[in-house]
Amino acid sequence: MSKSIDLEQEGIEVKKSCCYFCHQNCGVLAYVKDGRVLAIEGDPTFPTNEGGLCCRGNIALQHLDHPARINYPLKRVGKRGEGKWEQISWDQALGEIAARLTAIRDQHGAEAVATAGGTSRTDDWARRRFMNIFGSPNCFHNSHLCWIPTFMVETAIYGWCPFDLDLGTSRCLVLWGQNPGASSMPEMHHIRELQAKGLKIIVIDPRFTETAAKADLWLPLRPGSDLALALAWVNVIIHEGLFDPDFVNEYCEGFGELADHVEQFTPEWAAPLTWLTPEQIRESAYLYATTKPGNIQWGVAIDQVGKSAGAAMHARAILRALTGNLDCPGADLLTGPSQDSVTDEEMEANDMLPAAQKAKQIGADKFKLVTWPGYGKIAELSKKHWGKAPTAEWMCEAHPPSVFNAILTGQPYPVKALLVAATNPVNSYGQSKTILEALRAVDFMVTCEYWMTPTAALSDYVLPIAGALERPTITNSYGCADYLLASQRAIQPMYERRNDYNFWRDLGVRMGQEEHWPWQTVEEAYHYRLEPLGYGAESYDEFVELYRFHFPEREYYKYKRIGFGTPSGKIELYSTTLKELGYPPLPEYVGPTENELDDPDLAAKFPFVLTTGNGFMPFHHSEHFQIKELRFLRHEPRVEINPATAAELCIEEGDWVWIETARGRIKQKAALTNGVHPHVIVTERGWWFPERSMAEPELGGCLESNTNVLTSVADEHCDPLSGTWANRGLLCRVYKVDGDAKGGK
Amino acid sequence: MKNKHEGWGWMLAVDFFFAGMGGAMLVIAGAADLFVGEGRTSALASFLGAAFMGLGSGLLIFELGRPFQSWRVFMNPKAILTAGAWTMSLAIGAGFVYTTFSFALFPWSGWVLVRKLTAAFLIVAGLVVAAYPGILLGRLKGRPLWSGSGMTSLFLTSSLVTAFAAHYLCGLLYPPAAIGDVLAKFPAVTAVLLAVQLVLWVSYLWVKHSSTAAETIAVKRWISGEYAAAFKYGFILAGTLLPLALALADAPLFQAAGAALTLGGGLVMRLLVIYGGNADRTWLPGEVQYRSRLPHGDEAFLKAWNK
Amino acid sequence: MARYAIVFDTRRCIGCHSCTVACRVNNELPLDMIYNPVTTVGPAGVYPNLSMVHVPLICMHCDNPPCVDACPTGASQRRDDGIVFVEDRKCVGCLACVMACPYGARVKNHATGAVQKCDFCKDRVDAGKLPYCVLTCHQKARVFGDLDEPASEVCKLVNGQRAVRLLAELGTEPYAFYIYG
Repeated sequence: MSKSIDLEQEGIEVKKSCCYFCHQNCGVLAYVKDGRVLAIEGDPTFPTNEGGLCCRGNIALQHLDHPARINYPLKRVGKRGEGKWEQISWDQALGEIAARLTAIRDQHGAEAVATAGGTSRTDDWARRRFMNIFGSPNCFHNSHLCWIPTFMVETAIYGWCPFDLDLGTSRCLVLWGQNPGASSMPEMHHIRELQAKGLKIIVIDPRFTETAAKADLWLPLRPGSDLALALAWVNVIIHEGLFDPDFVNEYCEGFGELADHVEQFTPEWAAPLTWLTPEQIRESAYLYATTKPGNIQWGVAIDQVGKSAGAAMHARAILRALTGNLDCPGADLLTGPSQDSVTDEEMEANDMLPAAQKAKQIGADKFKLVTWPGYGKIAELSKKHWGKAPTAEWMCEAHPPSVFNAILTGQPYPVKALLVAATNPVNSYGQSKTILEALRAVDFMVTCEYWMTPTAALSDYVLPIAGALERPTITNSYGCADYLLASQRAIQPMYERRNDYNFWRDLGVRMGQEEHWPWQTVEEAYHYRLEPLGYGAESYDEFVELYRFHFPEREYYKYKRIGFGTPSGKIELYSTTLKELGYPPLPEYVGPTENELDDPDLAAKFPFVLTTGNGFMPFHHSEHFQIKELRFLRHEPRVEINPATAAELCIEEGDWVWIETARGRIKQKAALTNGVHPHVIVTERGWWFPERSMAEPELGGCLESNTNVLTSVADEHCDPLSGTWANRGLLCRVYKVDGDAKGGK
Repeated sequence: MKNKHEGWGWMLAVDFFFAGMGGAMLVIAGAADLFVGEGRTSALASFLGAAFMGLGSGLLIFELGRPFQSWRVFMNPKAILTAGAWTMSLAIGAGFVYTTFSFALFPWSGWVLVRKLTAAFLIVAGLVVAAYPGILLGRLKGRPLWSGSGMTSLFLTSSLVTAFAAHYLCGLLYPPAAIGDVLAKFPAVTAVLLAVQLVLWVSYLWVKHSSTAAETIAVKRWISGEYAAAFKYGFILAGTLLPLALALADAPLFQAAGAALTLGGGLVMRLLVIYGGNADRTWLPGEVQYRSRLPHGDEAFLKAWNK
Repeated sequence: MARYAIVFDTRRCIGCHSCTVACRVNNELPLDMIYNPVTTVGPAGVYPNLSMVHVPLICMHCDNPPCVDACPTGASQRRDDGIVFVEDRKCVGCLACVMACPYGARVKNHATGAVQKCDFCKDRVDAGKLPYCVLTCHQKARVFGDLDEPASEVCKLVNGQRAVRLLAELGTEPYAFYIYG
């Protein structure tokens, strides 16, 4: 809120909006007059942020009318990527896109149209609804890297994902590869308040993060060795008698098999793999298992370790079950989907996608858990148990690297069109060079965007979408929470921006889907979804203004009444669901995606362990490099190197250095810090340079400092269950950029 | 480290040079008049003493962020800058008035008492002006190179030594009305003061170097850092030792050259003191790294997307 | 009469820089002007035996402010409630205050030629609101209030055992206090 604006003036309305720059959706009060937002501030009555806003939340007004925002539909007129655009009407754009998609469907089948999403910066259920009715199973996000494999593995084992932590009465919290100190400000605040009252916090992270610095116990493990640590914890908890025998006996299946299986995974076994001492492993396992109730907070780290991800999630999930830290006061709660409102899944029209088309989903033959084979099975169990299924958009997706490969190779079949919704795959998906080639190669590409990203720059059409303050938002953990927080738009979209809901709906209407889109606006759809709550609000806006939240009454120990949503009705430590999908029913050890023990030759060439993908302030994913107020605080990409290592490599603070893996090399600026192990290199994610030319061949320098040039999406590096790829626990080398080469400017 | 902090620029250094020298020139003129006799120093020196202070004030005005508001600097009686501004203004006026006594065309040139009173005032005001930059800098507690009383004597000495040199040069250009042996002694006085100045500087840096960590860092810039060459060769060698030798040479040409070098040394010292002092503050925890990682100002993103 | 003060609880601060951005955006500061940087000390030690602390900096609103004494124009002033501010109209941009401040709290605005600084958002404070940087802090690491109010949180924190001042030896009597672990 600017100090030069009088907020007491007449005619100002205060709208209950939210921040839209990460998933926390902090409450924001927007001061609006004559359709313009004059000022914003953190909503002091919002339960999560209590008036606080982070760097990104504070720049909402800069984002709203930034000179680089896309405000009108654009059609490519020059060669692809040449940067020549014609401003056209929405009508023309939608008409031409509909015609082209129809032609592709007629010639190649609906599955030849794929769609890429970003990170909950869009109306995702509407995208899935369009695609289901259109007939293509090839929707995807970066969801593999972010929670979704965890959700599905845990749901396979417990019948739901216990992501809702009952922290108020918890005594021990494990932050496993999560750094709320840089990525989730409200969470950080609340856990620190609880820590002051006695909550013990264990941080598992190779980096000495903002959160590790405040932890009661920090486990600085080798990047990517989470599976070894989790198995060793299971070993200690079982073989040193720390488990909850009553809970295990009554509610868990497969304890005997598990106990036998993990006998080999002692702390002494794990120590050299994790770079921890057996004592550290034992001490931490004791702390979690004996300080009850306790929680394990999900973090993206395990989702991003590639090859060993699924097994690590499985082993981690077993920890909660062994200790009984599930669905009891203070533990991780199995809330199930919302029983009171229409869920995202119920809006997706998944029944309209024919089974034959579901079977064509790219990657479903290789990675079965987060595609129709696994999702279909789990959704069925979930419907039987809860009456509802998890959201398909996110939990059931084509395998993104395989889709980009299909564009390039025509295998398993050609993908001719890519509809992109507020994502920049070149910078956010794995192995960027391949992705860039695929984006250059795809026949037809439409991008709904806020900015002219490298991906948008290669598109045939770029459509302007509504941003924070311009769209209503329901916050409900990807449609899987039983609660919801509702926020309204502060203003109608500026210029010719629209909610992407209206892109999918209007496109659908043009393609004969009109009867399936009864809601003209997002608000109408949301009103329909919230009506069953029974508050009696006349409209969505009225719900926001009068009620804003819905938190159903909490029922602990639901399993005593209804069991667990698995085939046996119990927690399946030994998972029959995974077994039926062809995966090991117990977590088997595999090493980090690239490591010195399995591949000493590779390690000789690339002697350092690379980890990447972690969040850092003030940016989010690959966003906000245009916002000068933020960029000024962190204007260049930085790679973290231990000073001792840097000295050996003759690298000084501020030097541009190359970081190279078997996939390629990038340059970032050396930031020397004691906070990383001498054998570990940490690169920053997301970097591109929107201040440069956004036309070919420069494309905003999108490969130059982009850490995803280094990551790996090779099938053998992906988790066999989910197909998630490897951002962490890779091998790399580092060397100085030649004296006169000036990087990053 | 790229210094992200605002600092004073060359105009202030040059102001300190001219104002200090000008003030001290009036001190010498006044003292020679009172204690030796009328007309012993060049009238040109009295005039230039005032003019140099005026020039310095002009530079100071241009150093300001808002030059047209410069009159406001007279407004805070508690501020040392305000005291300096008043003293300098009065000294400039008195200097010009004093110069007029050398010329019979002014009807008051024979008013001896007024001349003597003016000379006395010049001694006081001139000394203040000569020492004032050192007092100002010495009071800046967060500036390790400057803080403390040492700067006052350094500036006073430098002002005096440059003023004696300037007097000598003025005397060559426009000899004093009354021939005496005063002016001829100035090279020797200059030489003594140069030697004193050398001792003072070496002691100052030595004391600072063995003081707080911040002061050590500040001094290292002079001994081995980015200002070492300018200090050693510009100030010590060319601005102090060489003119000292020339002043003792007993030949007017050499002595004149020595005087000119002395002036150059004084200017170099002012620039060194200002830039060297700008570079360091007593940095707060973590501040050096924080500022070193901020943009330098030439980054492309800073110029992009201007509405 | 009030005596305003701010307390930084470095045990809570995580170095997210929200305060810096909130201040800049709301006070409409040019990009190169930062009233309230947050620095990071560390990680210090040898991996993995490390410690790290974030230090929010700001104008200390000294009781004995050298900047006010140094200002030749009277533009730099200290209110009775302790808030040190610059009356823009009177500032000539001589930088005497910039050089006098041991805390680097003053910055020149190159567009106007004048010096600016944190004034604790005095117009907001006068209207009973919190400074922007305090309001925005998720971690509640910045506590602002009136030291003359015995029940206030600042009063309790300042009178606790751990509150310290930066460069206290200079005798500037800062009214920004720091609590370390």
